[in-house]
Amino acid sequence: MPIFEPHIHMFSRVTDDYERMAEAGIRAVLEPAFWLGQSRTSIGSFIDYFDTLIGWERFRAQQFGIHHFCTMALNPREANDDRVNDAVMEVLPRYLEKDSVLGVGEIGLDDQTAKEEKYFIAQAELARSHDLPLLVHTPHRDKKRGFQRCIDILKDLNFPMQRVLLDHGNEETILITRELGCYSGFSIYPNTKMDPDRMVRILKEHGLERMIINSAADWGISDPLLVPKTTALMRENGFSEAQIDQLVWENPIGFFEQGGRLERKDLEQPARIDRRETFTGNSVLRGQEP
Amino acid sequence: MSKLPGILETALDPKARDWLATAGAELEEKPELLPRLFPQLPRRLGRAPIGEGRLVEGDCQIDLAPWRACDAGALQLLTKAPGSDRLDLYRHGDMEECSMVLRSMAMLPLDVNSAALLGEIQRSNTGSHFEAGALDSNLVIRALEDPNCAFTQAEFDRFMVKLAFSDLALDRVFSAERGASADLSRMLQDLASEREAAGRRIWADTARMIAHAPIAGSLARILGGLEHGDERIRRAAIQGLKVINRPELNIFVRERLAHEAHSGLRALLATLIDPS
Ligand SMILES: [Zn+2]
Repeated sequence: MPIFEPHIHMFSRVTDDYERMAEAGIRAVLEPAFWLGQSRTSIGSFIDYFDTLIGWERFRAQQFGIHHFCTMALNPREANDDRVNDAVMEVLPRYLEKDSVLGVGEIGLDDQTAKEEKYFIAQAELARSHDLPLLVHTPHRDKKRGFQRCIDILKDLNFPMQRVLLDHGNEETILITRELGCYSGFSIYPNTKMDPDRMVRILKEHGLERMIINSAADWGISDPLLVPKTTALMRENGFSEAQIDQLVWENPIGFFEQGGRLERKDLEQPARIDRRETFTGNSVLRGQEP
Repeated sequence: MSKLPGILETALDPKARDWLATAGAELEEKPELLPRLFPQLPRRLGRAPIGEGRLVEGDCQIDLAPWRACDAGALQLLTKAPGSDRLDLYRHGDMEECSMVLRSMAMLPLDVNSAALLGEIQRSNTGSHFEAGALDSNLVIRALEDPNCAFTQAEFDRFMVKLAFSDLALDRVFSAERGASADLSRMLQDLASEREAAGRRIWADTARMIAHAPIAGSLARILGGLEHGDERIRRAAIQGLKVINRPELNIFVRERLAHEAHSGLRALLATLIDPS
């Protein structure tokens, strides 16, 4: 059964990951634009990164049979940085029209500053004008308050809740989001933040409707196989194949197809694999015969 | 008047036609909107082919077969915003945008960025981009022969070596033989011996191209091709000999004719001996 991994930062992963992910059934990934581990000092670094997300990274994924999509945004951390924040807002409208850009994100709150809120609001408006859904990163520190603040902002903006995915949820936030009509995202980590056991318990208690799970794997301690590992645990716990399919395929596609750019029929087959084709002079195979 | 808009028109459904008309009108008002409209082309017009056959308009020649609705739409939008920066569209475009910019070039006048874009294709190894920009048109030779275009003979030579390296057919670069040079012949011959030493196949059109600018070793390579086991290499050798046009070499042609099994090649050989 194919899996749509709706939040993973392949930019910081190696080719072995792609290989193992494809083997584990991951057929499509969505890569939200994010913070790169250190602050960027100029807009040029953002532009290069955005070009990578629609070009090289997409091409790299395809060589392993994986369809690659992304969301674009100014992330909450760098929203605080005046060297880049306004300039990123200026280039975003161009990138938000690219075919493989399925949403605006991850926007949200991190330290919950006034600047973070300012750019959160501006980008929610961008999502509206580009007819795209919104992927919202909720803070890891002071989480409950940050979650509530994100929701209040969206309500003030009258943003349609079914087009919002509030990510990095837990046992407490699901109580807040369940009734809202938005999608609830859960990032499963190999540590205490949220593990497969707890995830399965949440699914048993709250059902599958508008629930989305991801690995949020990046350059930190993370595991790009945590979605398939969680589905394996679901099976052990009596979830049916149809239920698993709803969680890791139908739900993320249902959310991201609201922007009108994701074609289900394009996902029926693995991405085209032609390892002889290389990108801007760089071959992943570096001269080996395919 | 270009025939392409009409060809595209019949290929589009009403919704796509409306979108294109609106986008074109918007661009005439505000050409700066191009970078936002351009990436939408594949999802608005689709990627279906629009026709086939050779199309000649002014100095431009293309084979229509690889053209998709979005490519023809891209050309139309670029025509509506004539001063637009094609290099910028390529450099910050996704895979499809790059293909559309490159394919459109074949039907547009050369501009300040044409040489730079050809340079981008030369450095790119994305097969589909090389194909979109370099093949199935006379763009490359047009760039070489235009004194105002900064595309040099050395760049053309490297371009052709890349074509050979990728085993693509010479005919797909229209009129490429007009750009033949001694340096190109040397590079092609070096590539051929390198491949042979490694026990690999050589570029089938080698003999045909070097015949237009023969250097030391060219003639022996072409003549040797007459007896090659690969039919494509024999064909190129015959075509090369025709260009060389040295009747005293017909002794080898007669020898081959006596035991050539391929009827098409026999006919071709016969034209060498009796050009009428
Ligand atoms: Zn993330």
